[in-house]
Amino acid sequence: MDLVFQIASIIAPLFVIAGIGYLWGRSGRPFDTTIVGMLTLNFGVPALIFSTLTKLEVSLIQFGEIIGIFGLFMLANLAIGALLLRAFKLEIEAFLPALSFPNNGNMGLPLCLFAFGDTGLALGIAVFALMSTANVTIGFAFASGKWSLATMFKTPLPWIIVAALFFMAAEMPPPRWIANTAEIIGGMSIPLMLIALGVSLSRLEVRDFKQSVWLGFARLAIGFGLGVCLAWAFDLEGAARGVLILQCTMPPAVMNYILAARFDRQATGVAGVVVVSTFMSLLTLPLLMLFVLAG
Amino acid sequence: MSIVAELAAIVLPVFFCAGLGLLWIRSGREFNSDLVSTLVYKIAVPCLIIATFSKVRLEISVITEIALAAIIIYLVTAAIAAIVLRIFKLSFPAYLPSMIFPLVGSMGLPVCLFAFGEKGLALALVYFTLGAVGTFTIGAAIASGRADFKKLLQEPALWAAVIAIGIIYWDISLPKWMYDSTKLLGGMAFPLQLIALGCSLGRFQVSSLPRGIGLGLFRLAIGFAIGFGVAEFFALEGMVRAIVILQSSMPVAVSNYLFAVIYKREPEEVASMVLISAAMSVVTLPLLLLYLL
Repeated sequence: MDLVFQIASIIAPLFVIAGIGYLWGRSGRPFDTTIVGMLTLNFGVPALIFSTLTKLEVSLIQFGEIIGIFGLFMLANLAIGALLLRAFKLEIEAFLPALSFPNNGNMGLPLCLFAFGDTGLALGIAVFALMSTANVTIGFAFASGKWSLATMFKTPLPWIIVAALFFMAAEMPPPRWIANTAEIIGGMSIPLMLIALGVSLSRLEVRDFKQSVWLGFARLAIGFGLGVCLAWAFDLEGAARGVLILQCTMPPAVMNYILAARFDRQATGVAGVVVVSTFMSLLTLPLLMLFVLAG
Repeated sequence: MSIVAELAAIVLPVFFCAGLGLLWIRSGREFNSDLVSTLVYKIAVPCLIIATFSKVRLEISVITEIALAAIIIYLVTAAIAAIVLRIFKLSFPAYLPSMIFPLVGSMGLPVCLFAFGEKGLALALVYFTLGAVGTFTIGAAIASGRADFKKLLQEPALWAAVIAIGIIYWDISLPKWMYDSTKLLGGMAFPLQLIALGCSLGRFQVSSLPRGIGLGLFRLAIGFAIGFGVAEFFALEGMVRAIVILQSSMPVAVSNYLFAVIYKREPEEVASMVLISAAMSVVTLPLLLLYLL
């Protein structure tokens, strides 16, 4: 009973905040996703990553470990996803990103935070940093058909990560004015991203229900399977195990839809996968939390 | 050295965030103020009020003390500013609200948080809530000729304050999920408010420099003098005294500009006062903190 209560209190904020966004979208009030996206991607997320990592809750070694394992997960997921899509004769360029890039930001971070505290957030954010870098480079390359590393270095993110790694390596907290600034700017990321997620869910439409359901299910199943195997293979325990499995099992990131829409790669199909998979994940979240916390 | 670092830790985040907004606008990007102010005033600030008061257990006596001081400060400031504006033959509807209502939200709250922690924030929120009530009633009445009670009742911050009083009075502890949700949502308040503040400042222009400087200085000076006087009169001490003086000495609030636009009361003049007094506070705020800490 205690565990049920604990799980409810971890998941509830996610529903409350995303629910605000969903109702906002449904009410037909305008919600400018571009400005919110710019605020979070340019300011909020880099500040949150910096402020979380420099609280020195995780060491450079733990940071490297989870990033390495998550990198393996991504490679394995890309391979399995490509085989699956090939077998069912679906366009790889359109659907592989949605099968491979989970929603580690909006959904993953608040869950890691509420389930495992600041350590969980720091581990979750290490994964998220790798994920968002991969999503904008590999995801962008898939959707646009072009490879571009230069775009990555035009965003503040990689530079901020380098700065955070410096403080982590020196095991020294940054000056207080920097820490305070990063903390308040970072504070807007999770709520803004979750509200934006809710708004997106209320707007995206599901056309091909059958395809969306099975692809959406495939994302969650592949993620969960790989997450559990990798956690077992590398003997992960506690927060690291929980964060890895949680982050691997998230539904597709909304970014996948944005890229698909921008480069005209079956955007409605991808939107369907994102929406259906997210709702499936919200329904199965209690079970996933039970598995992660009980193990 | 340590005092410099301490001051930097309090004021630089505020100026840095506002600076981001200012650069954003100056770089020619768009900023959707409607969306941001809805997020801030309908969602983030009410949540911040509820989360802060359910964590920091202020005593009712401390709350009434700071509330009383705030009300007296607002009234005395209004009286003195009215006399001075009359002497210089300046219009009340245009200038009086700017003299009375300082930037107790976007600047005052984060400064109080960084200087005095969450208890400081809770005290500053009491001051802020009264300021918001005053802006919609007295401020609107001066600018438009009538108080806007309907708008006041539609303000979620007011309802949040009522809930907060209930939480303190009956000593309720919020369930963890409610606290976590309001705390996360409240976290949007400062960065969005400050970025929006910077954006507004970036759009404003200085129309008449001498008058702007004169009124800006006057606002900061009476704010400090009256805050100090009232704190002495009530024999306030420690954190309560510092918060009262800090909040009272803030520059002109941007909301005054919004009212001036709505009721067509020389908005350019108000914008220029807001901008100049904010620029002056870059110098006066660290000095004030140096005195108070």
